[in-house]
Amino acid sequence: MKLLTHNMLTSHVKGVTKGYPLLIKATEVKVNEVEFNPKFVCRMIPKLEWSTLVQAADQLGHREELPGELVPDYEKNGDFLKKVHRVLLEVEVIEGCLQCPESGREFPISKGIPNMLLNEDEA
Amino acid sequence: MFSNIITETRGEDTMVRYYCTAGNGMQSFLVEEVKKKLAARDVHQIPGKVLFSSSATIQRVCDLKAAERLFLLLKQDSPVGMSTHTSPAKTASVLRSRLLGDRRQWLSAVMTWSRLQRELAASRSAVTTSNTHGVREKGRGSERQSDEGKKCHQESRKRSHSFTAEESDEKRQRGREQIRRHALELEKDDDVKESEEVCANYSKKDLEQNVESCSKNMKNMDDLGEDAPLESVENVSFRINCKCSGSLSRCAGAQEVSKVMGAGLSKLLGWKADLKNPKLEISVFLSDDYCLLGIPLTRLPLANRSYIKSTGLRSTIAWAMASLAQIQPGFRVVDPMCGVGTILIEAANEHKAACFLGVDIDDGQLQKADENIAFAELQGRVHLLKASSKALPLPSASVDAVVCDLPFGRKFSTRVNMADNLPLILSEMERVLCVGGTLVVLLSPQLSCLLKKLLSHTHSGPKGNKEDESQTGIKNCLVSSSEQQISQIQSSSSQEALTISSLRHQTTLRVSLGAIDGLIHKYIKTPD
Repeated sequence: MKLLTHNMLTSHVKGVTKGYPLLIKATEVKVNEVEFNPKFVCRMIPKLEWSTLVQAADQLGHREELPGELVPDYEKNGDFLKKVHRVLLEVEVIEGCLQCPESGREFPISKGIPNMLLNEDEA
Repeated sequence: MFSNIITETRGEDTMVRYYCTAGNGMQSFLVEEVKKKLAARDVHQIPGKVLFSSSATIQRVCDLKAAERLFLLLKQDSPVGMSTHTSPAKTASVLRSRLLGDRRQWLSAVMTWSRLQRELAASRSAVTTSNTHGVREKGRGSERQSDEGKKCHQESRKRSHSFTAEESDEKRQRGREQIRRHALELEKDDDVKESEEVCANYSKKDLEQNVESCSKNMKNMDDLGEDAPLESVENVSFRINCKCSGSLSRCAGAQEVSKVMGAGLSKLLGWKADLKNPKLEISVFLSDDYCLLGIPLTRLPLANRSYIKSTGLRSTIAWAMASLAQIQPGFRVVDPMCGVGTILIEAANEHKAACFLGVDIDDGQLQKADENIAFAELQGRVHLLKASSKALPLPSASVDAVVCDLPFGRKFSTRVNMADNLPLILSEMERVLCVGGTLVVLLSPQLSCLLKKLLSHTHSGPKGNKEDESQTGIKNCLVSSSEQQISQIQSSSSQEALTISSLRHQTTLRVSLGAIDGLIHKYIKTPD
């Protein structure tokens, strides 16, 4: 699971009102090399919940120099875009789980794919 | 329309006239695609085919996504008029005079074909030498797709053996297992078929076997100079592939036409007929409306993608659905029942600044999707999630487009009928979409009826357009025992609080999926 995906996910357990963001508990994290596409990163940034991204990167110990807030004029800042690219797409949780912040329910991540299926009583 | 144009020189550019076959329902997509991507001129549609001229590079032409097969046009003409009363000798004579034409035409066409093959080969070797990735997995072959290396399609196309064709209704389950037929057998098929449906389906084992036989074949190909352009236009070995349809097929069968043409060509050009391993294949299409001759430019259809390992939905349809969604840079696109990820991959290759999330409930499908994504080198932008389409773990109004091929089969993974689940699935799709977001779904004609009933039932706004749509929808419905079931579901669902009220219908298109048809529907989410 990449942090770009994590940024979009929310807990949908019945009754939960604040299921976002999910806490990451990783047991295996990998950093892969992914081709850098500055245009793509640029376009995705405005769609992200920036604080969630920073928090998640922190939880994984991969925050490095990612700023707590978006820098102005980031479109032209190649350095910054590279940092974002790394955190969004290169850091990957292979094994672990995602935890609902409200209910505590844990959703496992296996082989890089989070399993967010609910049981009958949770739906 | 009489058009014998093979090559035209316009200033610096060299226009070449091609034609492509297209599945039913795909023609308009193809027409748009050739105009947009290849600046095509003189675009002309005939049933099942699109003819066009373009000066784009052959690599770009081979990159077309909505086409089945690609041919170099040899001749297009009015139908070969014959009646059943014509004697065989007269028939042969008519065929010869109408189809053979003059020597120079043939030689010129073959020169063009040869040049195009050279260009294809050149781009292929350019990719090989510049390729630093090497072979990642056993079975992937030496060509990898990179942004600049899209030209590598041809290599894997020429190499692969396995082919699938025709999905039958029972086979169309979530797994979408497909029947495999040998590529060469298909070439000898003389059945009347206007549209061709072929997909590649590789299992890991097949791929490994393929590589072994591929490397052997590669050697053979080089030896036979199959990949190599023609040394000269003398001593060319050829084979005629003929398809006849309509009333003409009663006067002269495909075999007869092939024989006459074969003999005629041999005489005219001194070429030798070779049924097993010809250098050149001549395709002849004869119908009541036209006669069309061409030379295939690739051994495998363009519809067989080199970047997809195991397909579910046919790539051409997947691409068409993605194009309907009008994906913009920065878009987040979700496929809530992604299966092996065909739609996501086609969409991601076309729209390079958008990100894609595939959701599926089945581990097996997700595993294949994962492999497909890695094979296509799209791990950066295409991601996977295990979840139910009835309960998407995504916030409301967080997605810009939803593109989905709903499984047609009776069996759903929870062993409940798809028709029962449709309202909830739709409701989730609608919920996650932003206002202005697009929904593109592929359904069976039956489910389409249900879809229209569901949406026209809950929509409280001005009916107008919608009413017409639902009426045509009902007309299109297959009358079967399940209709009773559908009306039962409708009455029960009207009691549920359905929130599918903000989806506004844009268009519905019928497409051929092989043995069955599907309907693609496009909706836009409007403010409540």
